Amino acid sequence: MKDNVSARAVPRAINWNRLQDDKDLEVWNRLTVNFWLPEKVPLSNDVQSWATLTEEERTLTIRVFTGLTLLDTIQNSVGAPAMMPDCLTPHEESVLTNIAFMEAVHARSYSSIFSTLCSTREVDEAFRWSDENPHLQAKARAVLETYAPEADPLKRKIASVFLESFLFYSGFYLPMYWSSRAKLTNTADLIRLIIRDEAVHGYYIGYKFQRGMELESPERRQELKDYAFGLLFELYEIESRYTEELYDGIGLTEEVKAFLHYNANKALQNLGFEALFPPEAAEVNPAILAALSPDSENHDFFSGSGSSYVIGRAVATEDDDWDF
Amino acid sequence: MLDRLSETLDYHALNAMLNLYDDEGHIRFDADRMAARQYFLQHVNQNTVFFHSLDEKLDYLVEEGYYEAEVLEAYPRAFLQQIWDAAFKKKFRFPTFLGAFKYYTSYTLKTRDGKRFLERYEDRVVMVALALARGDQDLAMSFMEEILSGRFQPATPTFLNAGKKSRGELISCFLLRLEDNMESIGRGINSALQLSKRGGGVALMLTNIREHGAPIKGIENQSSGVIPIMKLLEDSFSYANQLGARQGAGAVYLNAHHPDILRFLDTKRENADEKIRIKTLSLGVVIPDVTFELAKRNEPMYLFSPHDMEKIYGVPFSEISVTEKYDEMVEDKRIRKTKINARSFFQTLAEIQFESGYPYIMFEDTVNRMNPIDGRITMSNLCSEILQVNEASVYNEDLSYAHMGTDISCNLGSLNIAKTMDGRDLGATVEAAIRSLTAVSEMSAIDAVPSIRKGNDESHAIGLGQMNLHGFLARERIHYGSPEGVEFTSVYFATVAYHAIRASCALAKERGESFKGFEASDYASGVFFDKYTERDWLPESERVTQLFDGITLPTRADWAALKADVMEHGLYNRNLQAVPPTGSISYINNSTSSIHPIVSKIEIRKEGKIGRVYYPAAYMTNDNLEYYRDAYEIGPEALIETYAAATEHVDQGLSLTLFFPAEATTRDINRAQILAWKKGIKTIYYVRLRQTALEGTEVEGCVSCTL
Repeated sequence: MKDNVSARAVPRAINWNRLQDDKDLEVWNRLTVNFWLPEKVPLSNDVQSWATLTEEERTLTIRVFTGLTLLDTIQNSVGAPAMMPDCLTPHEESVLTNIAFMEAVHARSYSSIFSTLCSTREVDEAFRWSDENPHLQAKARAVLETYAPEADPLKRKIASVFLESFLFYSGFYLPMYWSSRAKLTNTADLIRLIIRDEAVHGYYIGYKFQRGMELESPERRQELKDYAFGLLFELYEIESRYTEELYDGIGLTEEVKAFLHYNANKALQNLGFEALFPPEAAEVNPAILAALSPDSENHDFFSGSGSSYVIGRAVATEDDDWDF
Repeated sequence: MLDRLSETLDYHALNAMLNLYDDEGHIRFDADRMAARQYFLQHVNQNTVFFHSLDEKLDYLVEEGYYEAEVLEAYPRAFLQQIWDAAFKKKFRFPTFLGAFKYYTSYTLKTRDGKRFLERYEDRVVMVALALARGDQDLAMSFMEEILSGRFQPATPTFLNAGKKSRGELISCFLLRLEDNMESIGRGINSALQLSKRGGGVALMLTNIREHGAPIKGIENQSSGVIPIMKLLEDSFSYANQLGARQGAGAVYLNAHHPDILRFLDTKRENADEKIRIKTLSLGVVIPDVTFELAKRNEPMYLFSPHDMEKIYGVPFSEISVTEKYDEMVEDKRIRKTKINARSFFQTLAEIQFESGYPYIMFEDTVNRMNPIDGRITMSNLCSEILQVNEASVYNEDLSYAHMGTDISCNLGSLNIAKTMDGRDLGATVEAAIRSLTAVSEMSAIDAVPSIRKGNDESHAIGLGQMNLHGFLARERIHYGSPEGVEFTSVYFATVAYHAIRASCALAKERGESFKGFEASDYASGVFFDKYTERDWLPESERVTQLFDGITLPTRADWAALKADVMEHGLYNRNLQAVPPTGSISYINNSTSSIHPIVSKIEIRKEGKIGRVYYPAAYMTNDNLEYYRDAYEIGPEALIETYAAATEHVDQGLSLTLFFPAEATTRDINRAQILAWKKGIKTIYYVRLRQTALEGTEVEGCVSCTL
């Protein structure tokens, strides 16, 4: 099935001018213009704001970020590489390598936040917490199982979409919440850059899943769908406990759960399935929902860098352009 | 439904609903109004210190050291009662949540712990009016009227600080020259710290600094060029801020033909090394005409060593017109030079603008051709609207002045075009604005930087700006950038120029003095007025004539009379107009920013202090949405056309931002730059990009995400 370098086939160079699926190029282009590094965000402008958080809020924030670091680490070192042998096109492989790399950038970014805002002791404690937290470990394990080499390729994609489009968001909620309260706005910028990437990742892997589904028998499709919903229930259960443990202290649990429902629906939509939660249950606080969109934000350049700049397409000018 | 929501949602959530369409696809303006209301009910009213009477309030604020006693002592108490009564009688209300939130977060006087409010909006306005009128009761009343009615809005430093006891300066921005010696660089950094501490942005000119690898004391390869200076400045600005009220901010300008130009630009690259990456310092490039000519002919452009140029010509790089001396310098063996491709220079410029929005651009020759003042303009400022002449200082070894030159400061304020037009008396509004800005200049004496003080004392330069052009045009159902829109802009700005000059001439008569160097200016020779006495600047189309119905516009005869008056009595202010980008003050004033088109029907505003807030364009309703096409839809041509019409009548600059979809290429940016230069635009501010969400990844029902 695979049309690229493998043990037996003739090794072939990738030709981007012969596309089997236009989506590969479209997503490749999007991902490459979206390239960024954490150094571009002036995180140190958040130092003052960080000091205004209470001890409890700070602990929560660091924990949330260590949780996110874990997920990005999984996706970078296991998730994206695990999906590579399943690729339908050589271009899909290239896109996945890009995804894998950006996940590493994301994981790196949280450390930039830590090193700017927190003390080493606080950070070490939080990493210990993430190693020991049963819910966090449970969700990491649930996803890792499906990434195992002998696992079903399409199930891998299901788990991957859930990770990209669903599991991250209990963590993303917090920086969005802070920024809607004018706190840690540069950190939120950085997270918004991550969200911008994850949105494309989840969408693309979901899209590839749907292409894969088209090749399957009706029985097998039903099996995969049942599996997807089963896994979502399992993850949702864990995620709810995780959310309660994190957010009960500052009384945001209900709001975060509504956000989880919204994103669970979004993940299912990426896979081509119908929504699970009714709209009432997925009504997200408008301040958070609106905060998700990086587009056309009119930031003040003097206190932040914004999240809308990209690497442009360079095209040389021609004589006509200089006609004056 | 909203009533139900307002019980469960706080004001931030209500405000955010602006950015989400309702079930029928309408924008929820009512949610934002409710957010403003809830903000007062839930937060402002509960946290405002209550006083039984005005007397009690003023006594308390003076005794506790919040208000400057001298400001109030200049007036009898009866008058104070009268002006405060008059202000509160106007029943001012913030029409948007962001307006109220921004005001109470960033401007109003608070208790020292920052928790309780001591002023309402009316209090701030009256204090500003009293402080600037310096005891003149009629003037105070007229300032209050103009500001509270929304016609005139002083810039942030003035509006934030006037009348307060512990405060920063009233001036918006400063421009400093750096010369090619350690004394000048050291003092420059010190000045940047001092000015930053007092509020206001600082721009520095690096053009004269010797390039990377240039000799020091004759020993080759010693200088490290402009980048390390930029690093020092960046850190200085982040260290100094005005009591935490405003983040220190700075810009640096470099001539395109400086040998370090590519290194300078690369500091903003996405993958720049940490050692050379510049994050928060703003960059500007000074481009002469010759660079365009070289690019047109697709020839290389030479970069010239400032060190050698100064040796040969006896004056620093910035004082030499590269366009004029280009061929001569190319031929001169004594000047070290490197060459790069001119077209690829422009392409690099656009690439960096894609990645970071920077650099700003100043078209050097255009700026100097249109400068009515004797002397050379070598740089602009943090917002690229200040264009004034300056003069180098020379230092002794102990860092004292051997010769004190002049540096530039400018205090700003903007008219709300819609409100000014509604007021029907442009003459009175412009005059009040000019007098208020002049007061700021006269009240300022920045002794920490003597060259700035000297520049201000000699020039009384001010910058009257404009905002809400798009809001006004849309309200009148005229498209931004349409022929009527451009025609209105031209007539309006010509009228403002007339009244600004008239007011400054009146001040010269009253004070019995003109700015230093008036005799050598185009005002004194009368040349400046030629274009106004040779043709009319009056409305032609029916629609625009109608807009000015009942408003007196200056005729050629009026201009001729003004010319005679100015030639006889002079002008008090060396510079009069500058159109700033107006961020914060346009939210408070319920305006669209500057004379830009809107960036989005619902603007997402993000700042350090206020977080992420949503702002509806002024006067927009669900019925007139078609007139609110945003800057990305309108495109660069219509924007440049509009700016060109205004530029004609503005003695300094106008902050012009270019807007592109992320799918655009560097070539699109270059073409817009060429067009801007060709149309006589003086400066370009940011390049902004909008990336639309990949299909399938967008947030559903989001107003600012849909095209």
